Amino acid sequence: MQNKPTTFHFLLLIASGLLLAALSFLWWNDSRQPAPISLTPTLSGETEYCLTCHVDLPEISASHPADTFGCVSCHGGERLALNADLAHSTMRGGANPSDFSVVEASCGGSNCHSGSEADDRHHIQRVMTSVQSTYAGAIASIRYTFGAQTDLNAHFGIQAVIDEQSKTGISSLETFNPVDEAHPSIQKFGEECLSCHLHAEPREGEAYARETGCAACHSTKKHTLTTAIPYTQCNACHNRGNYDLRTMTFVERTDHPTQRIDDYYQPIAQFTQCEYTLDCVDCHTRSEVMGDGDIHNDQASIEYVQCKTCHGTLEELPLTKTLTDPNDIAFTLAFLNPIKDLKLGDTIIVTEKGEPLWNTKVLPDGTYEMIGKATNQYFTFRPVMGTACEQKPDEQESHYCHECHAVEK
Amino acid sequence: MNVTQWKNKMTDLSRRDFLKLIRNGFLYLSGVLVTGGLLRFLSYESEPKRKTEFDIGSADNYPLGSRTSIPEIPALLIHTESGYTALSLTCTHLGCTLEPNETGFACPCHNSSFDEAGNVIHGPAVKPLQVLRIEITDDGNIKVFTA
Repeated sequence: MQNKPTTFHFLLLIASGLLLAALSFLWWNDSRQPAPISLTPTLSGETEYCLTCHVDLPEISASHPADTFGCVSCHGGERLALNADLAHSTMRGGANPSDFSVVEASCGGSNCHSGSEADDRHHIQRVMTSVQSTYAGAIASIRYTFGAQTDLNAHFGIQAVIDEQSKTGISSLETFNPVDEAHPSIQKFGEECLSCHLHAEPREGEAYARETGCAACHSTKKHTLTTAIPYTQCNACHNRGNYDLRTMTFVERTDHPTQRIDDYYQPIAQFTQCEYTLDCVDCHTRSEVMGDGDIHNDQASIEYVQCKTCHGTLEELPLTKTLTDPNDIAFTLAFLNPIKDLKLGDTIIVTEKGEPLWNTKVLPDGTYEMIGKATNQYFTFRPVMGTACEQKPDEQESHYCHECHAVEK
Repeated sequence: MNVTQWKNKMTDLSRRDFLKLIRNGFLYLSGVLVTGGLLRFLSYESEPKRKTEFDIGSADNYPLGSRTSIPEIPALLIHTESGYTALSLTCTHLGCTLEPNETGFACPCHNSSFDEAGNVIHGPAVKPLQVLRIEITDDGNIKVFTA
C-alpha cells in the first residue's frame, strides 16, 4: 500500500517544526541568562538567587552579613526568580525595607528589632512613637496657633499611634489629616511643611537626600547601615532652611557654607566649640533621637541632654558609672560602632536617665575623654566644678553657657 | 551497502520519499528533544539541597586533646578522654558564624559570647551552642551531622 501524504501528516510536520523552533528559542533565551549565583543564608536556610545580579553590592553592615541574613529576609522578593521584574515584584518598600509602611515585616521579629522592652530590642515601637515619626509637636503648635485646638498638647500625629502603657500621659494620637482642617493655613501646612518626618519622602535636592524610615538616619550611603551617623545626615532635615509662617511655606537655605560652624544647624544660632565640632550623636542619646517607647508631646519633652551632662555644674560632677556587667547596653553600643575598646571596669559618663555616653571615659586625673562616634576624633574636657565659671546650677540651658562660651562667627 | 549502492539508492529516491524522510526526521528529532526537555524539567532542582552530612576525614587527624575548627560546617571538633564532640559554631541568636576568643566564642554580628563548652556568657543569644551528632564510619572516618 502506497503512503499518501495526508493533511494530518502535513500538520504533524508543521507542529514538529514549530516545536523545534520553540525549543531553539528557549535554548537561545536560556543561554543569554547569567549563570545563577545561589546563596543559602543560615537564618532562613532557603536558597535565593539575588546575588546573580547584585553580587557587587557591599555588605550592608557587620551585624547583617549576607551569609547569615541573605537578601529576602529583609527585602522580600521572589528568591528563586532570575527575571528582574518577577524577582522584584514582591519586594517590601522598594529598595528601602525600613520604610515604616513595611518595617515590621522587614526589620521586626522578637530576635531582631521589635523585641521586648526588657531586652531593649523594641526599636520599631520606639521609633514609631518618637517625635521624629509623629511630628506631634509641630502639628499641635500649628493647630493651636490657628485656633483648631485650645491647648498645645499633642492630639495628632502623622500616623495614629497607641501606647497604652505610656508614662507621659499621652496614650494615643489620631492621624493628622490636613484636608479635614477648617483653617486654610493648617491645610497649607499639611501641603508644604510635612516633608521632614520619618514617613515622608524628602524634598528634591542633594541637601535633602535621605531615605525614609530607619534608613533616614542609619543609611548614609547606598546599601549601608551604621550607627556612626555624621551631622550631615541629620542636616538633611535639621539644617535645610526655615518655615515662613506667614505664607506657610518652607524657605530653602540659599547659602553654601564652607566651614562646619556655618553648616551646622540654623545659621543664626550660637554654638560652643563642642556643639559644632562634635556630631549630634556624640551627645544626643538614643532615647532622645529614636524615642523611648512613650508618646511625647514635642521635641522639647524628649530632649534632655544639656551641657551639664558631660561637664557637671559648680556643685556636682557629671554622673558616671563603672561598667561591671558584660550585658550592659554600653557594650552593645560600643560593639556596633567600634571606635574604642570599651572594657569592664571602665568608668563612663551617664545621663540623668542612666543612658550611657559610652564614647566617654573618666581619666585618672579627673578629666574626661570623648571619642567622636562618626569622626573617631579624640577630645578631652574638664568638669565645671573647681573652675572660675559663674554658671548657676539651675541655669543649664545652652543659651546660658553661650553667654561666655559661644564661638564668634 | 557500499557508497555506490547508497548513492544509487539516494538517486532513486522519489520526491515523495524524500519529503517523508524529512518529515520522519523532524518527528524523531522533536520527540527526542521533547523527551529530553521533559526529563530536564522533571529533574530540575530550583534550589540545591542543603548539605547536612559532612565527612571530615580520618579520626587519626584529630588526636587526643585537639580542638579543630571545621569551617565547612562550621563546627569545632573536640577530642577528649571521653571521645569526640562536635560543637556547632553557628550562633543560636540569628545564625552568624562564631569566632574564637580568649573566653570561648564570640558572635561578630551581635556580640553574643559563649564559653568553651558552648554555654552563653552574655546575649543576645539565650540558648547554648548545639552539639552535633557524630558517627565514626567503618573505615575510621568521622561524619558530622547538622540535622
